[in-house]
Amino acid sequence: MAAGPPVTISIEAACENQVQEVALDGTEAYVQPLSMSENLAKLAQKIDFNRSDSEGEEQDAGAGEEWAQRQQDSDDEEAILKFQPSLWPWDTVRNNLRSTLTEMCVLYDVLNVLKEKKYMALDPVSQDPPPSKQGLQLCGKKKSLAGAAQILLKGAERLNKSVAENQEQKRQRDFNSELLRVRQHWKLRKVGDKILGDLSYRSAGSLFPHHGTFEVIKNTDLDPDKKIPDDYCPLDILIPSDLEGSAYIKVSIQKQAHDIGDLGTVNLFRRPIQKPNSGTAHWQTKLEAAQNVLLCKEIFAQLSREAVQIKSQIPHIVVKNQIISQPFPGLQLSISLCHFVNDKKAQKMPSEKHRSDDHLYVLEHNLHQLIREFHKQTLNSSVMPHPATAPFGLKRMRLAGSQAYDKGEINALQQNEGLLEKIIKQAKHIFLRRRTAWTIDSLASRIEDPQIQAHWSNINDVYESSVKVLITSQGYEQICKSIQLQLNIGVEQIKVVHRDGRVITLSHQEQELQDFLLSQMSQHQVHAVQQLAKVMGWHLLSFSNHVGLGRVESIGNASAVTVASPNGEYSISVRNGPESGCKVVVQFPRSQCKDLPKSDVLQDNKWNHLRGPYKEVLWNKMEGRNFVYKMELLMAALAPCP
Amino acid sequence: MEAPPVTVLPVIGGTINMMEYILQGSVLDQSLESLLHRLRGLCDNMEPETFVDHELVFLLKAQQGSPFILRARRSVDKPGLPWHLRYLGQPEIGDKNRSALVRNCVDIATSDGLTEFLIEMGFRMDHEFVVKGHVFRKGIMKIVVSKIFRILLPGNIDNVEPLSLSYLVELNVVAPPGQDAVSDDMKSFSEQLKPLVHLEKIDPKRLHQV
Repeated sequence: MAAGPPVTISIEAACENQVQEVALDGTEAYVQPLSMSENLAKLAQKIDFNRSDSEGEEQDAGAGEEWAQRQQDSDDEEAILKFQPSLWPWDTVRNNLRSTLTEMCVLYDVLNVLKEKKYMALDPVSQDPPPSKQGLQLCGKKKSLAGAAQILLKGAERLNKSVAENQEQKRQRDFNSELLRVRQHWKLRKVGDKILGDLSYRSAGSLFPHHGTFEVIKNTDLDPDKKIPDDYCPLDILIPSDLEGSAYIKVSIQKQAHDIGDLGTVNLFRRPIQKPNSGTAHWQTKLEAAQNVLLCKEIFAQLSREAVQIKSQIPHIVVKNQIISQPFPGLQLSISLCHFVNDKKAQKMPSEKHRSDDHLYVLEHNLHQLIREFHKQTLNSSVMPHPATAPFGLKRMRLAGSQAYDKGEINALQQNEGLLEKIIKQAKHIFLRRRTAWTIDSLASRIEDPQIQAHWSNINDVYESSVKVLITSQGYEQICKSIQLQLNIGVEQIKVVHRDGRVITLSHQEQELQDFLLSQMSQHQVHAVQQLAKVMGWHLLSFSNHVGLGRVESIGNASAVTVASPNGEYSISVRNGPESGCKVVVQFPRSQCKDLPKSDVLQDNKWNHLRGPYKEVLWNKMEGRNFVYKMELLMAALAPCP
Repeated sequence: MEAPPVTVLPVIGGTINMMEYILQGSVLDQSLESLLHRLRGLCDNMEPETFVDHELVFLLKAQQGSPFILRARRSVDKPGLPWHLRYLGQPEIGDKNRSALVRNCVDIATSDGLTEFLIEMGFRMDHEFVVKGHVFRKGIMKIVVSKIFRILLPGNIDNVEPLSLSYLVELNVVAPPGQDAVSDDMKSFSEQLKPLVHLEKIDPKRLHQV
């Protein structure tokens, strides 16, 4: 169907704007769409300020009427306005805002006036009280309180239940936690249904055949109704019956030799029980006490075994729980094992207390140390075999033939001394040291001139101590210091080293030391004269430490010195002996002696200036507090100033 | 000259007639540390000892029967010590309840000329190896954790390579015969090492069959 003229079809969008007028040539003039501001003005006209005000107004009924009237007025205004679109559309808005401003200004002014409180005051409008609904309120409060109480009660009940459960479980749990604590300190193992422990020193190297087993049991003797005591412990320890109580080794030295028949008495001096620290559990103290008993038993067994086996010059006596030996003649060393069990019977021993002073605690401690050293040696750490398949033991000892050790070397390697010998040596040394100190002190207190000082060394050995003895005169220490002795106290002897190099060995007899010191003191006096002479300017004529003249001294030897005055006119001779005391004579010049026989041997007068006869000085009548002072005065008197 | 016949009579008296009780096991290399820690805690309190040993195994072929084996061992890291010559007998066929392997053991310390002496005596060196490891002790028990190394060039003990990736653990006690309580102690000790290592008695005859 292609016939027909082409028809033009034009497509155009639908016209959205209203047609204002149609021109004569067909063009349409549209109403211009409102611009944004025009649109806004149109919308603003629609706002009704009055209506929004009156919607929130409830209380002021009177004013509401007024507002309603004004609303009507504004409605009329609006109606009028609708017919007058040429008016500025914001007019109503402006008017409304202006009136609002006026109202606000008024309110602001009123408030300002009120603030000053001079011209206007605010008073509340009295109102009728609202009707009380007390009954209702009470019911409501009761209900809410009951609800709260219910919740609290439920919580409390739950807490109570858990506390009660805890109390019950506490006993069970406590046993396990206490057992854990025991296990931290002691070795435990489970055998069957028993829990056994080991308190012996076997793992530390001891060879004592005691088993040392203890058992841990539950402590069930507790009444659940009664209050739990403070020191309640949920587990209990059963220790072997022979390790109960406490024990210690008493080592003492007594002077008098006891009668042999007297040895049956068992020394049981009660040592005050040390209060355990408040932190340690009772099982710890119990186990430690039992272990101590075991160690004391081991020490005593070792000592008694050695006492029986070792041959010594004076045999040791082992009686019951005592070992008695004689380190020095007249001296008795007794080592006893004091073991007592804590029952009432043992408390009836108060009278023996005064004798406990001779307990040598040092030796008891040393015994413990020695046995521990012995334990350590059995756990010999340096015997790992190289090569690894070799048996244990000292490596070179496995060699035989020409490269092997001989008997002497093996003897030197092995320790020969047992525990008992060591303790006896230590006891001897302690005794010797004590006696030396006593001797020196007694001499020092007895003799004032010269003075004896002892400086004991702080560092010493179990077998050796040393003391430095100085013999001085008071006031003249710097001058007269020639007697200085170093005493090395050993086990059985005292070695004295003199300042001039002599070494003298003294035995354990105390008389020897005393005599020696006395002789040194007498020698000191004479040495002092010699030193004094040097200081005073006197000349030394003769000096002898051991004079062979005069009476024989029973202790040591006498010494003598002769000094001459500076001008030679006088001389002083001193002879001092430990027993005979001192004798001082002065030699005068011949010219001063009147009773000299005249003889014609002397031709010249000058011989009269020589020194002549001697005169003894009454030394005890001499002034001066000690010998050297007296000597100084004498010298000063005989050498007058020119 | 052929080798003289080996007498079978045992030497009695002294420390010659000792029995060795032994339990063996092995651990892989990665478990070594934990095993050493465990042993350090269980055994006597000493500094841990390591060792390097060189062992030579000598054979004496007898006309009949099995050859006579002697083991000569020396310490490489501690050179001045004596050599150690060891004879290990056949394991005793006792009751099955005994937990450890028991065999006769003779230990002798010798001076340095051991290898020449044995060769002069007619022994022939069968093989040698180097052993490195740790040794512990607990009382009379000895625990050796060692790794065996093969010597690549004979005579040169520095050139070694490990034989396996594991360590051999041996627990042994040398005691006079008749003390079977020792094996109970060994068993209870080996219980404490489980599950790190299982120590059991390994019959060497059965190993040859494998």
